[in-house]
Amino acid sequence: MSQSATQASLRIPLAGLLAWLVPGLGHLYIGDRARGLIFMITISATFWAGIAIGGAGSTVDPQHRRLWFAAQLLTGGQSLVAVAIHQNAIAPYPESEKAPVIGHWLSIDVGTHYTGVAGLLNFLVILDAIFCADPTTRKLLAMADSQGSVVT
Amino acid sequence: MNILANFLYNGLDLAGIPRFPFMLPLCLSIAIVYKTARCNNLKELPVATLILWVTIVLGMVGVGVGLWAVFSILA
Repeated sequence: MSQSATQASLRIPLAGLLAWLVPGLGHLYIGDRARGLIFMITISATFWAGIAIGGAGSTVDPQHRRLWFAAQLLTGGQSLVAVAIHQNAIAPYPESEKAPVIGHWLSIDVGTHYTGVAGLLNFLVILDAIFCADPTTRKLLAMADSQGSVVT
Repeated sequence: MNILANFLYNGLDLAGIPRFPFMLPLCLSIAIVYKTARCNNLKELPVATLILWVTIVLGMVGVGVGLWAVFSILA
């Protein structure tokens, strides 16, 4: 396998990994700066707005909201930071005590939806980064663009 | 710094009707991300996003009103 082929085969998983780690970073890596910045700002704002609405104490809860947490994990590094804040928030409570609910249940619900949707949106972005990192796909997209066809 | 930490730990105190406007920014972020991924030409993004955002919001309001009507009739 030639060096350029090896680089191309590394480019696709690396774009996916970077897109998971920080929303939009995969697109920045493949050179699509405008899209990368839009994804980064929108998904990060949605995720942290959710944390601010519901509070990290209960919004990101790996023990009691497992399915939502799976969705939240798709935001990558940000969800790991939120988990660290969550662990810090519940740390003062003894383990024998029933898990604390910090904040109003309605706020926690809204916050959980924000963070979960941010994760699911980032899943779409990860797939898009993987798709666009493939040089063949990029050529097809460029051709479609030059012919003026718009996918909506 | 303490205010920020307190804000992140405890969140807002939402109850009743004020929770509904929180749907709008969430729908907007869905519309932005979806259209950014789908539009080949980013110049078309603002209009396409606005149309999708309005569609999602109207659709959700429609579903909400429909369900409310069904529950009111059945009650």
